[in-house]
Amino acid sequence: MKKRHAFMMQVVLAVIVCAALAAPSHAGQVYKLALSLAITGPTSDAGNPYSKGVEDYIRYVNDTKLLGDDTVDCPIRDDQYQTDITKRNFEDFLSEGIVLYLNYSTGSTLALKRDFDEEKIPTIPASFHAGNLVDSKYIFLPIATYSSQCIGLAEYIVANHKGGTPQVAMFIHPSAFGRGPVEDVQNAVKSGLKMDIVEVVEHGKDLDNTATLQRLLSKNVQYVICQTVQSPVATLIKDAQRLGVTAKTFGEAGKLTFTGAHYTGGNDLIDLAGSAAEGFFWTTSYTLTSEPGPGTDFQLMLAKKYSRDEKTANSHNYTNGMMVAQVAVEAIRRVKAEGGKVTRESLYKTLNAMNGANSYSPGNTVGPVTYSPTDHAGVDTLQIYSVQSGVFKAVGKPFIPKFAK
Amino acid sequence: MSANRWLATGNFFSTYREEQRIFFTHLDRLVFAVFIAVLFIWPLVYEVSNKYMLVLDNILIAMVAIIGLNLVTGFAGLISIGHAAFVGVGAYTLAVFARTIGDSHVLITHAWPLMLVLSGAVGAVFGAFVGLPALRLKHLYLAIATLSFQMIFQWTINFLPLFNQGQTIPIGRVYWLTGMVSRGDHYLFWYYVILTIVILFGLAVRNLLRSRYGRSLVAVRDNDRAADAMGMNPGLTKVYAFALAGFFAGVAGALHAYLYRGAGIESFTLSQSISYLAMAIVGGLGTLTGSFWGPAAIRILDLQVENLVEWSAQFLPANMNLATALKPLTFGLVIVLFLMFEPRGIANWWRICRSYVKLWPFRY
Repeated sequence: MKKRHAFMMQVVLAVIVCAALAAPSHAGQVYKLALSLAITGPTSDAGNPYSKGVEDYIRYVNDTKLLGDDTVDCPIRDDQYQTDITKRNFEDFLSEGIVLYLNYSTGSTLALKRDFDEEKIPTIPASFHAGNLVDSKYIFLPIATYSSQCIGLAEYIVANHKGGTPQVAMFIHPSAFGRGPVEDVQNAVKSGLKMDIVEVVEHGKDLDNTATLQRLLSKNVQYVICQTVQSPVATLIKDAQRLGVTAKTFGEAGKLTFTGAHYTGGNDLIDLAGSAAEGFFWTTSYTLTSEPGPGTDFQLMLAKKYSRDEKTANSHNYTNGMMVAQVAVEAIRRVKAEGGKVTRESLYKTLNAMNGANSYSPGNTVGPVTYSPTDHAGVDTLQIYSVQSGVFKAVGKPFIPKFAK
Repeated sequence: MSANRWLATGNFFSTYREEQRIFFTHLDRLVFAVFIAVLFIWPLVYEVSNKYMLVLDNILIAMVAIIGLNLVTGFAGLISIGHAAFVGVGAYTLAVFARTIGDSHVLITHAWPLMLVLSGAVGAVFGAFVGLPALRLKHLYLAIATLSFQMIFQWTINFLPLFNQGQTIPIGRVYWLTGMVSRGDHYLFWYYVILTIVILFGLAVRNLLRSRYGRSLVAVRDNDRAADAMGMNPGLTKVYAFALAGFFAGVAGALHAYLYRGAGIESFTLSQSISYLAMAIVGGLGTLTGSFWGPAAIRILDLQVENLVEWSAQFLPANMNLATALKPLTFGLVIVLFLMFEPRGIANWWRICRSYVKLWPFRY
């Protein structure tokens, strides 16, 4: 009996020792983020690289132990650009205990705005619609709003136009995303921006824009500001090339100079429009791999590390996804550095304090990310790019639009 | 009539009235009562996450809409490809009220049952109006007429500032006897509301089908000239079939707007209309139970495909593209398979099961 008792004691001790050795010395915490976006369906051409940008940066954070033993878990779900599915995904993520949420489309961001506020969850969408920030405390835009981008383009036109008052048309997407900036540009004109908005064209699914282009020319329009996605812009500028009405130089008299905001440009536009994209002026707050620098080097390294193809690696939407993940991780890092507990509330406070000396430079934007309780648009700075010999090249220095609120 | 009112096997009706009873035996009535009780009690016993509660609410709303679609397409034989637009009419009736008088106005938040009825009524008016071409058109031509209503609806919502140009119009939180329904109780509260409406509408349609008005729907579907010769009014029947469908759709739309706390055009597009039609076909056109089976089957299938894609993501590097292929593939495949092999839908399986249980242990 005694022998048996001693044997049992030895077995128990062995189990305890094994368990102690097997357990990690310090089990890190897992911070939960989540992303719901259109990986399939409408706008998935942007959503797909965006999701890879988020995924790769989070993997990088965990692989390189940027947060020490702590890790970030960021499930990514496809919502097919449908608000109903986004809402379902969001509810699921909430039940999993997320501390910060990454959303995507303008429609779903506007539809879920109240939920974000009620749940008090900081949210970073891929939509830069200024309306997202109206009556909302918890939405943080990564970069300047579409309105700010369009006003930036308008200011660039006014500054570089030779002759009288520039005659401008806006070519917009028939949705909140496209229409949002129109009123803000009109307000900028009322506030003293010296240009005339001759016409606002809401495009449909037209395969030919000859009539539109001829009408604009008959009204002496010289500049077109596009606020839509790449494919309608590609159709427009290809038709302009076919008709021989594309300006060879910026503001060439009797011809049209095309400009566009964030989602109109990028390498996808060059792929779609080919040589017609030459001389297209585009603005965004992101750096591009065609203008190498430390930020783009890091982006290309990340894409290579996780075996992404060339197209994804050079996509500005990949940069976009990376950048929002960087902002989220930076907020977590700062909360940890201050010895705080990573919660929705602490992340919200940290994001609101991301300004002045505490602003954040992720490296892949043309200016710092700054938030405050009254300003939830991240990077205020814009860079103008134009297509030169098949690639987007920077034109001038980064700037902050003066007429943007 | 069988002497045993609990376990009657076979049809022993001696009067037409007996044949038209809703419940043939006491056992039928008991099973139905227990089933309804279970539907009401289970959420109190078993806690479900908001995600799945939202899915359930969605299925129930689709049931309300499909009861209407089944009336017009299944029972009256009038193809409607614009059903999502009728649902949208209901949602936007509520949304326009919210936009005009404020989304937290007492009418929106406290008098929500009235708003549901009002939305249904507006849906019925639109339904009757769109049903007018049914007096002259049939089959494919009528389908195109309803399709055009869908297109006009989408265009109107997308372009008129009154409808916020398709952007979501917010709806305030509603109040119940215990005060404002909080975010935590939101989905459960609407589960009970929608479930009650589904039961009431189900019973209403069951009763309608026992009446001369219900029978005239079927008669017009089978042969409208013969129905006319029998003294029915095919024109009026067709218009009121559309009006009734519009009413159910309108209520479904208002429920959708309340559940999602807003109305946006994305939920009422042509693809939604096709989805509704698929639900009606898979459930079983021309059957009341089909209106319940169809939405449940299609919505659950959607969810399972999503889960499958997510699970496969662990093994397949190109998982994202799998999602692109799987969703439409399964949706299309299910409809084709049902049309080929079970055109009477899941309702027929239900009928076979019931018949088997009723006759058991005998084969016939």
